[in-house]
Amino acid sequence: MEIPYVVTPRKDTGLFNAKIAIWLFLASEVMLFGGFFSAYVFLRLGADYPWPERTLPVLPGLINTFVLIGSSVTVVFAWASLKMRQWRKFQIFMGITVFCALIFMVLKGVEYNVKFHHQAVRLKDYTIMEGHLGVEKEGETPVLDHHGKQIEENLIYVETSKLTYNTVRFHKPWVEELLTQAEHEKSKIILAADVTAITKEKEPAEVIAKAGEPLSIELLNKIQKAHLAARAHNGADRTAALEQEWVKAHAAFPDKRDWQIASGVNIDMKALTPKLLDEISTVAFSVEPATRFDFHPRDIKQADGQSRLRDDTVVDGKLLDSPMGFHHIDAIDFQYLVMKAAAKGISPEVAIENSWLIKNSPFAREAWEWHQGEIVKLKADLLKRYGVDKEGNPKRFPTHKELYRIGWKDFAKKAEDGGHAKLSSADSFKEEFLGPNYDARGDETFPEFSIPREQVAFAAKFTPAWNTYYAIYFTITGLHGLHVIGGALVLSYYLFFGRKMYLTNPEWLANRVEIGGLFWHFVDLVWIFVFPILYLM
Amino acid sequence: MADTPEAIKKSIRTYLFVGGILFLGTITTVLVATVPWLDVGAHGFDKWDCVLGLTIATIKAGLVAFVFMHLNHEKKAVYWLFASGLCMVCSLAGLTALALGDPIFDSLFYSGH
Repeated sequence: MEIPYVVTPRKDTGLFNAKIAIWLFLASEVMLFGGFFSAYVFLRLGADYPWPERTLPVLPGLINTFVLIGSSVTVVFAWASLKMRQWRKFQIFMGITVFCALIFMVLKGVEYNVKFHHQAVRLKDYTIMEGHLGVEKEGETPVLDHHGKQIEENLIYVETSKLTYNTVRFHKPWVEELLTQAEHEKSKIILAADVTAITKEKEPAEVIAKAGEPLSIELLNKIQKAHLAARAHNGADRTAALEQEWVKAHAAFPDKRDWQIASGVNIDMKALTPKLLDEISTVAFSVEPATRFDFHPRDIKQADGQSRLRDDTVVDGKLLDSPMGFHHIDAIDFQYLVMKAAAKGISPEVAIENSWLIKNSPFAREAWEWHQGEIVKLKADLLKRYGVDKEGNPKRFPTHKELYRIGWKDFAKKAEDGGHAKLSSADSFKEEFLGPNYDARGDETFPEFSIPREQVAFAAKFTPAWNTYYAIYFTITGLHGLHVIGGALVLSYYLFFGRKMYLTNPEWLANRVEIGGLFWHFVDLVWIFVFPILYLM
Repeated sequence: MADTPEAIKKSIRTYLFVGGILFLGTITTVLVATVPWLDVGAHGFDKWDCVLGLTIATIKAGLVAFVFMHLNHEKKAVYWLFASGLCMVCSLAGLTALALGDPIFDSLFYSGH
């Protein structure tokens, strides 16, 4: 059967099938993105922390805007070429469009990658520091985890003497990781005592595992199997016993409703207990000798004496100093601290002077003093340019961000003012995409810094975990990125597989390209709003 | 709609012209956000920068929709479809405004100060 209105429009609507379909789809897309933009407004107005204004790199965003606008022009040219039956031109313009999509996604990938590797930490007093973490080293060689990956200097160290595993919830990769660490430290993790349990009804307890057996996944699995079998057996016994009690109760009180007799229906535990098997919910291993094990902060609730992992493993041992080691600090941000101080009626300067960082880091103090000098210059400049109002107050004054944030460009300027070498313009251009170049600028610009664990309130990479700004940034740009990929795939299909249709029914292909093009323009249209809202406001 | 090859040939100049305006609009948006002496309202980002930035973005989006997406000479059905989507968005965004107009809404708390 031939499908009607593929090429020719319907008389009533004046539209061919795909046209009405794409507009239906675009209307739903408008609502989807509109919903996310509304969410952005809500999150921004409702943020209980200083919203990160103009925090994304403008240059990559700007280039991406040019790229998308350019591709919008070329896709309409590609459609026009088809309409004029110029296949070669169509190929060129569509090729450029798809290439533009590729550039867009590469730049977006670079931008995301920088965020995924950039560390932020909020201290207990709401000072925020940003930078890159160092990696764990032995001498000059980086230590690798059991996946062969480098380990960042953001670990909790516990001198572990005992590990008690939950036999149901233990997380296999963490067991493997600890085994690797124990092997590296030449220590042993062995079963602390015999695991004995009644595994069959009316039979004596048997030894499932002997004290001294080394920790292994197989051993944990074996104990887990016995535990689960006992649990299933006991559960079935309990259910059967309860059913019997109900039968008895119904016979004794035939006229009563269930809810009236429920409180008197109880299992006779005395009779049942001898039938039950032993459940082994936990199993303890001793670490000989006591060894320093490293844990990721997100996996452990640390405490001196007894810590607990997220999989319910109990770690007995002394909590050691576990500082967060920044290989390079590239921003110090007092905006949040100032906001919290203002709520208590404390002046920003007093709050910053009394912050842990300023009191404990000569570098931070020096940077803050330099920054205050810069602010004096900025205030004088604004006063000179814009003057004062009728009441004699300056018409323009520095922003909250300018006043209380020392960003990486400030650190770079401070070092350059101090006589350190400037980067070449090519290297500076690269920094606009990849962030600060630590190797070229050196430790004088971005120093190493160690934060004691007890000062750390919250730490994350620049991912949705860090704050709602990054959550909505990744949601909107991620969704938009998926649209770019989807659109590019459809347009590539026309480019690489459209020739046959062009030769048989060029008008049909032109209609298809028009539909693909409409979607592509919409992707551009969304970005036209995303760019100023996320990058410039 | 420009459907004949001759009409399309004519509209190519329009597409190029609109493309040029979109480029210029983008540059303007960045300049007013980054060059201090082009900054409207108070120093740094404020509501006037927001109004200006979004106005330019809306003009740009309008050009894309009307010229590139041919909304300047579409059939009625398309207008109805698109307008209904847009109405839904405006209602959604209106919810934000309603929340702000709510006397119980603590604007001081929500402004982050």
